[in-house]
Amino acid sequence: MARGLIAFAAAVSIGLSLGASAAEMTDHEKQLYEAAKENGEQVTWYVAHFNSETAEAVGKAFEEKYPGVSVNVVRTTAQVAYQRLMQDLQAGVSQCDVFSSTDVGHYVALKEEGQLMEYRPENAEKIYDAYKDIDPDNTYHVTSAGLVLITYNTKEVSEEEAPKNWTDLLDPKWKDKVSVGHPSYSGYVGTWVVAMRKLYGWDFFEKLEENNPQIGRSINDTVTMLNSGERTVAAGPAATTLRSAARGNPIAVIYPTDGTLLMIAPSGIPKVSENPNAAKLYMEFLMSPEAAQVQVENFSESVRPEVPPAPGGRPLSEVETIRPTIEEISEGIPEVKELWRDTFGV
Amino acid sequence: MTISSLPETATAHTDRRGWAALLQRLRHLEPSSLLWIVLIAILIFLVVSPMVRLFIASLEAKGTGALTIANYITAYSRERYIDALLNSLALGAGTAVLSVVIAVPMAWAVSRTDMPGKRFAWLVVLGAFIVPPYLGAIGWILLAGPNSGWMNQAWTWITGAEDGIFNVYSFPGLVIIIALNAFPFVFIFTKAALDLVSSEMEDAANILGAGTLTTTFKVTLPLVWPAILAGFIIVFLEAIALFGTPALIAIPARFNVVTTQLWQFFVYPIQVGVASAYAMPLLLVTVALIWVQKLVLARKGFVSQTGKGGERRMIELGPMRWVLFGYCFFIGLFAVLLPMIVLIQASFSKAWGRGLTLDNLTLHNYAYLLFDHDMAQQSIINTFIYAIGAACFAALLALCIAYIVNRRLVPLGDVLGFLCMAPFVIPGIVLAIGFYAAYASPPLALYGTATLMILAFTARFLPIAYANSAAAMRTVHPEMEEAVRILGGGRLQAIRAVVAPLLKRSIAGGWLLVFILATRELSAAIFLVGPTTRTISVVLYDLSEEGNFEVLAALGGILLVITLVFVLIGFKVAGRDFMLRRS
Repeated sequence: MARGLIAFAAAVSIGLSLGASAAEMTDHEKQLYEAAKENGEQVTWYVAHFNSETAEAVGKAFEEKYPGVSVNVVRTTAQVAYQRLMQDLQAGVSQCDVFSSTDVGHYVALKEEGQLMEYRPENAEKIYDAYKDIDPDNTYHVTSAGLVLITYNTKEVSEEEAPKNWTDLLDPKWKDKVSVGHPSYSGYVGTWVVAMRKLYGWDFFEKLEENNPQIGRSINDTVTMLNSGERTVAAGPAATTLRSAARGNPIAVIYPTDGTLLMIAPSGIPKVSENPNAAKLYMEFLMSPEAAQVQVENFSESVRPEVPPAPGGRPLSEVETIRPTIEEISEGIPEVKELWRDTFGV
Repeated sequence: MTISSLPETATAHTDRRGWAALLQRLRHLEPSSLLWIVLIAILIFLVVSPMVRLFIASLEAKGTGALTIANYITAYSRERYIDALLNSLALGAGTAVLSVVIAVPMAWAVSRTDMPGKRFAWLVVLGAFIVPPYLGAIGWILLAGPNSGWMNQAWTWITGAEDGIFNVYSFPGLVIIIALNAFPFVFIFTKAALDLVSSEMEDAANILGAGTLTTTFKVTLPLVWPAILAGFIIVFLEAIALFGTPALIAIPARFNVVTTQLWQFFVYPIQVGVASAYAMPLLLVTVALIWVQKLVLARKGFVSQTGKGGERRMIELGPMRWVLFGYCFFIGLFAVLLPMIVLIQASFSKAWGRGLTLDNLTLHNYAYLLFDHDMAQQSIINTFIYAIGAACFAALLALCIAYIVNRRLVPLGDVLGFLCMAPFVIPGIVLAIGFYAAYASPPLALYGTATLMILAFTARFLPIAYANSAAAMRTVHPEMEEAVRILGGGRLQAIRAVVAPLLKRSIAGGWLLVFILATRELSAAIFLVGPTTRTISVVLYDLSEEGNFEVLAALGGILLVITLVFVLIGFKVAGRDFMLRRS
C-alpha cells in the first residue's frame, strides 16, 4: 500500500522530467520498460548484496528511473535469502524475481538444477573487465563487489597497535577481542573463510579459536560488536564499517598487507519469475552507473569503472586484493561450514 | 486457564453413548449441529491437519514420498543434534524454575499482602509481557555484553576490576533473559489462584501457632500449586519454542538449541522430513509434561472455592512489606526498566557507540523508518492487520466453541474443547513447520500470503482465547438465556441479547491477550513470511543481523508504542485486570 503511494508520488514528481530520462534509455531498456509496465509487472528482489539501507536506496533509485514498475526489497543474509528462495521453489510458488546473493555457490547450484533464466544484460559489457562473464552461459552476472578487511575500534586500539595482516589476528594479545560472522549465515564470511583456508590452511581457524572470537551471524554483526566496544578488532566488511564510521561511530578499516578479500556477488533471475521483463530491466539497472552511484554513496564498491569510490575508501586499483575462484567458493563453502562447526561448536 | 482439564477431556468422550447420541441428533439436524460441523472442520484445518502432515512428512523419503525412517536416523545420528535437544530441555527447565522464583513472591505480595506499590508491580508484569522476547534480548546485549555492557562497565568502574562479571553470551545468560520476559505467565496464573484463597484457611494455621512464612509455605502456596504448575509448563514450552533470543545469544555463546538447529535443516537443501522428525521429541516432551501434571494433581484436592464467599484480608507485613516492594522493584528494574532505557537511548542516537551526549541525539532513525523504509512501513501495517485478524478470529472461534461446549448443545462437545487446547502443547516453530508442510504447496498454495499468517497466529493462540472464553462462559447461568427462549426468542437472539453483553469485557480481555502475543510472535512467522507478508518481528530479526541497532531499536519503539495504544484502549473496554480474569 505504502509502496503504491510512493510509486504514485514518484510518478507524479518525475512525470515532468520523464522526457529527459526516457531519452537516455536504450531501445532494449525501453522495450523492457514498456513491456513491464504493460503487464503490470513489479520486481521482488531477494538481496543479500547490501545492508538494508543501501538495498532500499537502490530499489528507490530504480523506481525513480522507471516510474510505474515498483520494487519489493527483501533484504536478508545470503543463506537466509537462499533458504527463502528454496522454500518458494519447493512450495511451487514464484515470489522472487531477482536473486542477489553473496555466495557464488548458490548460483552454481541453482544453475545446475536449471532454475536460472538465461539473460545477458546490455550492461554486462560495461562493468570492470575482471567481473565480466563469470558465467559463460549468462545465467548470472556480477552486480556488486565488496571488500572484507580488518576493522577495529579506534577508542580501544590505536592505528599503530591495530593488526596489519590476517595472521596478526591470531596473536594472543587479541584474546577475547576478535569478532567474526558465521559462514552458515553470511556469504561474505563463507568466502572469507575459504580465502583464509587457502592462504593459511584450516590451522588459521584452529588458532583463531584459541583467541575465543565472538561469533555473530552476518558479517555486519562485527560492526555492532566494534561500535559497542564489546570487541576491538574484526574481520569485517568495508561498506558497512565505513558507513558507520561516517555516522560518527569510533571504528576504522585497515587494508591487510596479505590481501584484502575482494568479494564479487552476482545476481540472477529465477526461471519461474512471473515478472520477466521487470526482472531483466532490474538486472540492467543493477549494472548501470546509476545503481553504482547509489552503491558508492552508501560506501559499497562500484562495478562500473567510471564511478569513483566513496570518500574514505580506496580505489580498487590501489588495493592488494585476493579473490578465490568460483569453483573454490562453491565447493569450499559447504566444506568450511562443517569444519567451522567442528572447530567452533556452532 | 485450566490446562489440567485437557487430558481429561481427551478421554471423557470416547464412549459409545456419544456416537449413539450423534446418530440420534443427525435425524433432527439443528442449526447448532451444523455449526458444530463447521467448527470441527475449522479446527481440523487449523490444528489436526498441520500436525498430521508434519508426522507424515517425518516418515516420507525426500522426493519419492516412500515410507522411511531415514529422516529420524539423520535427525538423531549426530551428537551435535542430540546436544541441541538436551540444551533445549535444560533451557526450558531452567527458565521455568527461574520464572517461578521470580513470579510467585510477586504474585503472593500483590494478592495477599499489604505491600505498597502494587500498581507498580502490575506495570512491571504488563511491561514484561508486551516486550517481544528478542527485543528484550537486544536490550540485554547492550546491558550485559561482557566488555561493553553498561552493567559491566559500571562494575569495572566501581570496583576497579579488569573484567566485567556478567556475560550475556552464556547459558545462564540465556536462561535469565528468557525468564525475565516469560515470568508474567506464572504471575498471572498464580495471582488469579491466590485471589480465590480465602483468609480463613490461613487463619486456621495462624491459630494453631504458625507464623506468616509457615502459613504461606504450608497452606497458601500448596493450595495454588496447580496454578504454579500450569505457569511452569507454559514457560517451559515458551522457552523451548523461542527462536529469536537463542539466535542472538546462543550462537555467540557457541551452543545450539532445537530451534536454531531446526533452522539449519531449512537451509539448502531443505529437509522438511528431517525437520519434522527432529521436532517430534518436542511434542512428546510437552505431552509428557501435561501427563505428569495430571498425575501430580490427581491425588490431591485443591478446592479453595467453596462458593461460600470466605473473607479475604491482606496480610500485614510490617517493615517487611518494603523488602517485598524492593524485590518487585528489583525485578522491574531488570525485566523492563534497564533494557527499555538502553533501547530508547539507542533509538534516539546517531551512533549508539558514542553513548549519551546531546550532539548524539537524533530523530532520524524514526523518521527513516516511518518515511523512507518501505519494508518497515509495510511490516508495521502487516503486524497489526495480522494481530487484529488473528485476535478476532480466535476470539470468535473460541466463543462459539466455549458456548457450545458449556451448554452441551452437541454430542462430543468436549472434542471441540480438546482441539482448541491442543495447539497449547505444540511449540510455535513446530506448528509453523506443520503449516508449511500442509498448506504452503498447491492446491492451497498459501505460502507467502496474509491468510497463512493469520491462520497460523490464530491456531497458535487459540488455546489462550478458548481458556478465557470457557472460564467466562461458566459464569453465565443458562437460566438467563432460558428466560429469553421461554419468551419466544431464538437461541441466536438469546446469545445476542444476554450472553454477548454479559461477556463483553471477558471477550475483549481474551482478544487483547491474543493481540499482544500476535504482535510479538516470531518463531512461527519466521518460517511462514513471504516478501509482502513480513511482520515487525521478522524485520527486527533481519535488522539484528546488520549491526544497525539504532534503527532496530527505533522499530522496536514503534511496535511498543502502537501496542501500548491498543492496550490502553483495551483497559477501557476490558478492565485493567484483563490478564487475570479467569473465573
